[in-house]
Amino acid sequence: MRKFGIYKKGLAVIMAFALTNFGCQKFLDVNPLYTQDAENFFETPVDYQRALTGVYDLLQSSFITVWIGEIASDNSIAGGESVTDTEGLHEIDEMGHDAVNQELRNVFRWNYAGITRANYLLENQNKIDFDGKDKIIAQARFLRAYFYFELVKYFGDVPLIVDKRLGADEVTTVDRTPKAQVYAQIESDLKYAADILGWDAAIKGEVTKGASLSLLGKVYLYQDKFDKAADVLDQVINQGRYALFNDYKSLFFVANENNAETVFDVEYSGAEGGSYGCLICLEGNAAPGFHGIRQYNGPVYGDGNSYNLPTQNLYDAFDATDIRRDATCLDIDAFIAKQPNSGNIKYAKGAGGHSGFYNNKYIKRQGEIGLPDNDLTSPVNYRVIRYADVLLMSAEAHARSNSPDYSKALGYLNQVRNRVNMPALSSTGNQLIEDIWNERRLELSGEGHRFFDLVRTGKAADAISGFVVGKHELFPIPRVEIDLAGGTWKQNNNY
Amino acid sequence: MKGVGFYLLLKLQKANLEMKLNSSKIILGVTLASIAFFLPKVSLAQTESSDTAEKIDEVVVVGYGTAKKKEFTGANSALKGESLEKLNLPRLDQALQGQIAGVTINTNSGSPGGGSSIRIRGLSTFGDNDPLIIVDGVIYDSEGLNALNPNDIASVNVLKDATAGIYGVRAANGVIIIETKKGKKNQKPQIEISGYSGMQQTARKMDLLNATEYAVLKNEMFANGGQSMPFNNTLLGTGTSWQDSVFQTAPIQNYNISLQGGTDRTTYSIGGSYFKQDGIVGLDKASFERWNGRVNLNTSLSPKWRLNSVLLYTHEQRSALPENGIGSVLYNTINAFPTDPIRDDQGNYTYLEEVADIINPLAQMANSYNWSKVYKFVGKEELSYSFMDNLTFTNRLNYNLAWVNDKTFSPLVWYGPGKAQNTALNENLDPTLVEIAPGVEIERGAAVYEGRSSFFDVNFESFVNYEKKIGVLHNVKAMLGTSIFSRDGENLSGTAYNIPNNSVDYADISANLAQGGYLNNTGSWQFQERLVSLFLRTEYSYANKYFLSAIVRRDGSSKFGPNSRYGTFPSISGSWVINEEKFYTYSSLPYLKMRLSYGVSGNDQIQNFAYRGLLNGEGVYVFNDIITSGVAIGRAANPDLKWETTGQLNWGLDFGWKNGVNLTMNYFRKSTKDLLFQPDVSGLLGTAGAGSYPPIINAGNVLNQGIELEASYSKRFRNGFYTTVALNGTWLTNVVQKVPEGVDFIPGAGFGVGGNVATRFQEGFPIGYFVGYRTAGVWQTQEEIDNSPVKQAGAKPGDLKYTDINGDGVINFSDDSDKEMIGSPIPDFTFGFNFNISYKGFDLSANMFAAIGQEIIRNYERQQPYANMLTSKIERWTGPNSTNSNPRLTTELTRNTVFSDFYVEDGSFLRLRNLQVGYTLNPLTAKKIGLTGLRIYVAANNLLTITNYQGFDPDIGSFGGALGAGVDYGFYPQARNIMLGFSIKL
Repeated sequence: MRKFGIYKKGLAVIMAFALTNFGCQKFLDVNPLYTQDAENFFETPVDYQRALTGVYDLLQSSFITVWIGEIASDNSIAGGESVTDTEGLHEIDEMGHDAVNQELRNVFRWNYAGITRANYLLENQNKIDFDGKDKIIAQARFLRAYFYFELVKYFGDVPLIVDKRLGADEVTTVDRTPKAQVYAQIESDLKYAADILGWDAAIKGEVTKGASLSLLGKVYLYQDKFDKAADVLDQVINQGRYALFNDYKSLFFVANENNAETVFDVEYSGAEGGSYGCLICLEGNAAPGFHGIRQYNGPVYGDGNSYNLPTQNLYDAFDATDIRRDATCLDIDAFIAKQPNSGNIKYAKGAGGHSGFYNNKYIKRQGEIGLPDNDLTSPVNYRVIRYADVLLMSAEAHARSNSPDYSKALGYLNQVRNRVNMPALSSTGNQLIEDIWNERRLELSGEGHRFFDLVRTGKAADAISGFVVGKHELFPIPRVEIDLAGGTWKQNNNY
Repeated sequence: MKGVGFYLLLKLQKANLEMKLNSSKIILGVTLASIAFFLPKVSLAQTESSDTAEKIDEVVVVGYGTAKKKEFTGANSALKGESLEKLNLPRLDQALQGQIAGVTINTNSGSPGGGSSIRIRGLSTFGDNDPLIIVDGVIYDSEGLNALNPNDIASVNVLKDATAGIYGVRAANGVIIIETKKGKKNQKPQIEISGYSGMQQTARKMDLLNATEYAVLKNEMFANGGQSMPFNNTLLGTGTSWQDSVFQTAPIQNYNISLQGGTDRTTYSIGGSYFKQDGIVGLDKASFERWNGRVNLNTSLSPKWRLNSVLLYTHEQRSALPENGIGSVLYNTINAFPTDPIRDDQGNYTYLEEVADIINPLAQMANSYNWSKVYKFVGKEELSYSFMDNLTFTNRLNYNLAWVNDKTFSPLVWYGPGKAQNTALNENLDPTLVEIAPGVEIERGAAVYEGRSSFFDVNFESFVNYEKKIGVLHNVKAMLGTSIFSRDGENLSGTAYNIPNNSVDYADISANLAQGGYLNNTGSWQFQERLVSLFLRTEYSYANKYFLSAIVRRDGSSKFGPNSRYGTFPSISGSWVINEEKFYTYSSLPYLKMRLSYGVSGNDQIQNFAYRGLLNGEGVYVFNDIITSGVAIGRAANPDLKWETTGQLNWGLDFGWKNGVNLTMNYFRKSTKDLLFQPDVSGLLGTAGAGSYPPIINAGNVLNQGIELEASYSKRFRNGFYTTVALNGTWLTNVVQKVPEGVDFIPGAGFGVGGNVATRFQEGFPIGYFVGYRTAGVWQTQEEIDNSPVKQAGAKPGDLKYTDINGDGVINFSDDSDKEMIGSPIPDFTFGFNFNISYKGFDLSANMFAAIGQEIIRNYERQQPYANMLTSKIERWTGPNSTNSNPRLTTELTRNTVFSDFYVEDGSFLRLRNLQVGYTLNPLTAKKIGLTGLRIYVAANNLLTITNYQGFDPDIGSFGGALGAGVDYGFYPQARNIMLGFSIKL
């Protein structure tokens, strides 16, 4: 009897085990608290707005285009602390870049991160309906177009993914899409954005119809579709709401942001610090701090990391009376010599190179420092498209059109020159086109456009030493990206 | 405690005991000599007794049960509490270093309260390599080891092989089972008071340039770079020794009191302790203080019911300085210029202006304020019921409750123009202005951060132990159990600005004066984890000769998604006690056992919810000049995510000689598969945005293989001498066998500022091996450069000459083709040596540890024109044939600062970790003064280190995960201590 009792108890124990264990399946179903899952989002209009903010975030990678667009060209050298300080830029500087280059990889990945975030929103665009949804969709499509355009400028053919996120297994099934198809998508996105968006931004920082048309015009220009480019750019000009800011020298100051010349800006704030370990995480513009004067202790400017230093060649390209010369290239020794107590003002030459000049547009100025690390972040917005650029693009489109309108082109060109008190030009035909191209350099240097302009206009080989025709028009697809996508993509020519 | 708290100040700095010798050879010599000496053949006359028998009957805790050493089928190493206590080390992990074969412990920081990395049988994973630590049955974080008082520990048992599989999904990194002190039955209450007090100093300072040497070398450097020489006068004397000001003599003290005893039904052990250590850098700015309380109660409620209750309480308080990184106090100290004073004529800290990111380390220490407080209760209530003598049912509730409070005060500071660490606008300490809305600016003053976190683990376990003898020869044991575990954590934190008067006296959120609270911000997080397990162990033995044990455990973990939430982990082990065989006749070797085990265990140590895609990425943009938060996908989802599995084979032999020598040998082969990785994925997946990450996937294999030896010897001689000697050694190789598809390697730590990747996880190489250029001396002449078959772009005479690894005739700086393995942070061989001898009340003990064959990256040098340098730079290249090892000094653009073996040093070392001399009063004499026992001693830690390494301390762990090992940023060194201690038994 007693023995039986023990076995009964023993059995009860085993039953208890079985119950605790198998009754506990539910116990393991723990859900993350107070966090939204990617799959149960887009339930309210606010969800859409917040996802859109996530797409905008990637615009803040603009500093890399300011670097590469200048350093790859005849405008700037890489600079920095040493030749291994952001090595990828030094390689690009010397046209020695190949498919292993961290900066080019950043360009590739950051733009696809923006595209993925836009696609995540667009994938869910039909989940609910509400007033103003079309404006959110339009902005997302604009941003996607912008990111694709960046990729096409750098790499040519790139995989085109639209309105869906790619699963990890699908990566190896996609190939590079011919550039023309990517451009078609870009145009369609921008046309949609231009149709939906108004000329005024509801909130400062949002993209507008003017931005959409101007970017569309630029996209046409890059494809030599001059008539279409002239058409959309003239819409922007004729709207009459944009104008050139009168003082070129202070155009890039924080105090003069979002003025009438602003067509499309990337917005930054200096109120949140960050770390060198994650430049893409910054809310401030990294470029001014990196462009800053190395270990400088004098007035007007802050100190920085001596990147992206203008060349003598650029300085000499300006007429001595052109105020844009000193507004673009800061002749550091001359500047210091003019200051009171100049003997006490010091700065250091980085071992990554020294040209005697600093980028005076995007540079760390006192009063525009970021917090808490003023070297790293800056509130200075990046001017992606200025009205001066719109005028010059339109001028070029009219001058290169099959049915050119040289007088209109000349008029736009002289508007730009007039703002900086440079004498009007009167050229026509090919000379006018050359003048427009030259004016683009004088007007837009230091802003990340030069290399792509040189390539687009077939002038890169003449201007850039080491430039190999048939190779350097495009950057190589980062090799690791080819490998990670299954190794089947064809590399760009001659890399 | 003033009566006994005497400080002994020894001028150790002057009597510098450092030796620089060819360490590898010496250590090998020492090892061989020691092994030879203690080989069993050496007959020691006059022996009386041997401890072999005692040793093999020792009972060890093996997880949900105990086993006699003789019967245990797995590979373990057990240590008694006394051997840890004797080392006088603040942390258990420090005390374990060099004591157990196969367990490598490296100090991650020598700062008070700093941690260690504990690696059982090598690095097996890319992620978390920490073993599972169980204190009296309660799961304990390795980070939480600060809370344990080494004096409270009765025994430590390390399960190294597959028998650890009784802990299933968390056992792959090995298991450390710690038991705290318990009372003995029928023992009168015994009170013991013990303590020590001492002083600490740095064991070493680096050889840095003095002001004169600095000025001369910098002049040469600038002249070589075509720049004007910065020093007109180089006769500057010795200048400032920043190290002398930064390193200080700091006190350390520890006191314990305990009461233990028992009746025939109840045993108890109650204790309390206090420990305090100030830092040799920063004193109270880098200090650690700990109070412990402990109650162990074991009682028979009735003949069948037993209650076992444990409660450990800890309160810790820690302050720390920025350490182990670019910008840390010691990094700044190493690079600060000897030509600048610490303070200027007005008494203000100097700015060290010439290098933007080097700040005055003394100013930095003065402005660092942080405190972290931990309150922790760990315990269990265990109720067991014996149905019969051989069938016991145990239920227990374990808990671990911790509150962690942090506070950091950031005053407005100004370290000099352009310094990144400045928080003020200018040297007047004016606050910066922040635009909070268009056109509205407010001041941003001193800030205080406060965080409150709580963690609560509950673990309910039930298990039945059954044992049955069948006939005379057969014995069967079985254990069936279940466990449910939950862990919850919560945090609330806030930062408040504009603390009054820029003063630490008001460093509390409540004191903030921020206008409208605009700048103040808050944060929080929370998590939950769950684990459900069922486990079974069956053991069979025949005639005390053959032992067989099988374990199977099934775990369900909330870390993984529904697709792969459950895993089953089996293992099997057996042993053969050969000396029990009839044919065995070697009487000089009365104990000989062979063991074999194989099993599979898991590792689930990854972030929660890694299988799901959450919207916790960073999607932030600036609208209307205000930073505006949106959403973005965080880590990409992987619903099929599962744990890593480690299959481990162990083959071992145990010997016990009659003359008192015991020897244990193990060979192991530990293969880890399905490593939990977060590798690079294609950019097309869009995971490169801020706060977005690639999915965690299972990919990659790692193999660790090695041989472990543990030998001990103890003897009591007739003339009153008693000696014990323990030696252990581990040979280990580590190799990555597979990395995820499409990935060549996983990059690890960087070298220099913004520089190259120096460490990697790559197939065919050890985890975290160093990759860079291999030097072949220094280019001596232009002619040599011109005539060289290998073209090195930009090379000038005096530059480092690199080896053309791929043989294409060019040194390729723009890709990896000329880089190769130039070092590994993993030692080939580690060695521990413990020695005790006592004679008529006097005792002497020593503990040594050596690690051989690992390398260290010298990454504490700021490669800037004005940064200070090691004196080894005096031997720089100055002209043809001046030297073939050190490059020229120049400010000009060179490739000498790319990562090469020039920056890799041999990190081998042998360290005398503890040396102690004590005297125990004769019990009869003690009785006369009313005591049961009294011992006093003098002890020294880290008295001697033999190494060629130039940095502060070669015993460096990792500050950045598996791939950050062996990178020295100016490591906070372990102190050299001299202590006086006592122990009184009332």
